[in-house]
Amino acid sequence: MSVCSLYPALRVTMPWSCSESHLGSCRKQLMFCVSRTTARRRASTGVSCSADTRTVVIGLAADSGCGKSTFMRRLTSALGGVAEPPRGCDAYSNTLVGDATTVICLDDYHALDREGRKEKGVTALDPKANNFDLMYEQVRALKSGVAVEKPVYNHVTGRLDPPELIRPPNILFIEGLHPLFDPRIRSLLDLSIYLDISNEVKFAWKIQRDMAERGESLESIKASIKARKSDFDMYIDPQKQYADVIIEVLPTRLIPDKSATEVLRVRLVMREGVKHFTPVYLFDEGSTISWTPCGGKLSCSYPGIRFFYGPDTYFSDEASVLEMDGRFDRLDELIYVESHLSNLSTKYYGEVTQQMLKHADFPGSNDGTGLFQTIVGLKVRQLYEQIIAGDGSHGLKREQLRRRCLRLSPV
Amino acid sequence: MATATAGVSTSARGVVSSKAELPKPQLSKGMLRLPWASGRRASSRRLVLVASSPSTPPNISEKVVESIKKAEETCAEDAASGECAAAWDEVEELSAAASHARDKLKASDPLEEYCKDNPETDECRTYED
Repeated sequence: MSVCSLYPALRVTMPWSCSESHLGSCRKQLMFCVSRTTARRRASTGVSCSADTRTVVIGLAADSGCGKSTFMRRLTSALGGVAEPPRGCDAYSNTLVGDATTVICLDDYHALDREGRKEKGVTALDPKANNFDLMYEQVRALKSGVAVEKPVYNHVTGRLDPPELIRPPNILFIEGLHPLFDPRIRSLLDLSIYLDISNEVKFAWKIQRDMAERGESLESIKASIKARKSDFDMYIDPQKQYADVIIEVLPTRLIPDKSATEVLRVRLVMREGVKHFTPVYLFDEGSTISWTPCGGKLSCSYPGIRFFYGPDTYFSDEASVLEMDGRFDRLDELIYVESHLSNLSTKYYGEVTQQMLKHADFPGSNDGTGLFQTIVGLKVRQLYEQIIAGDGSHGLKREQLRRRCLRLSPV
Repeated sequence: MATATAGVSTSARGVVSSKAELPKPQLSKGMLRLPWASGRRASSRRLVLVASSPSTPPNISEKVVESIKKAEETCAEDAASGECAAAWDEVEELSAAASHARDKLKASDPLEEYCKDNPETDECRTYED
């Protein structure tokens, strides 16, 4: 049995790949710690068994019922995984483990289960109901290549189930209500995304989701939103100032009726200066562009499509904003729009359209929500590839060390 | 293009017809397996078939109804208290769980499940040309 020993002194940052240990508790072995000493597998210790592939951590923050699951499915699909039924933060599974990606639902770190919250009179949005220390320790452990025993929160029963083992993946997504709340966790994230849904749209989506349910009426949905609003505004909403990418979903401006929410106006806000992230732009980076693709070359049905692009400030930071108002009705509208956008991080022409078509049955496939989620997915892929390429730039030396390591690796 | 529009029209549906109106699932789905049936038409019908049943597993559905009743009672006493907010938060959590359960059911194809266990039946026979 070979495990990595937990001595901070053995922190070596040279990247080489080694064979996996049998227990899977440490993904890679250090050349020097091939001792047979068994070590206590404490998930909270930050052992740096540095590997040539480190774990990239992406945070996704959004309120309940705002499309996190759909976003995760698109993201994992853009990264080459299988688009499975919704996982992460759902009733049956809080963790999706694919080939390269793991999605962790932060509801697993609830300090208080449903009964506990009822007694204390706090909602799940309240930081008091969540164990941020454990969250930080485990995310840090996974990032440095150590497997953890993560608690499991059962959404159906509302209780905490026995923990499950999570091995460090290539890409780790943490999705939930508070990924950006704690500054220590923020420092671990390579990219953070916030889904900002306006109140009217949120209300319309919740009606669509819940009205089919027996017992759910308009009043109960309204009451539910109202009761959670103050906690949401106090704890969840402020997280958007820390996010690198914000997707805002608002009602359309193309239809004169103010309350129209069937057509959506979606804004992709991309902060400047985010490492390994190049903002998408329209026609000319840095200019302010207003573009209506429908016209001579492309005919659209009412209400059509309108794009805006330009620099802006977001919470007093420089950002560039790409906005789409309207919806797609036909394939050629989609490919026409894609051919005019730049810096999409696609690997071939038409990749965005293909990804959108692959998931044509997902909600939002015909408007900016699907389009921008797909684009962000491709950006995440580019970010991951750039981080890995940056880490693995030691070339020949790495190869030599790897061979030495394999010779020493125990049976 | 047709796939996109089919997807759009299906996802745009709100509450749709109950299960009772649909033809007997066994027979109509059996037609899909025959090679001369129009693939596109059959698949769009199939989409309608699966997507149009808003069925939530009964245990979650009951939990949602119960939690709404409890929330209304709690808030009748004191609408501004933490207990009221916690009660409605529970309703929201259970509604989300119910919606995920519905999605999971929607994604699982009853025909595929049936054919896994009974590959020799007429509906499940596949023909290679």
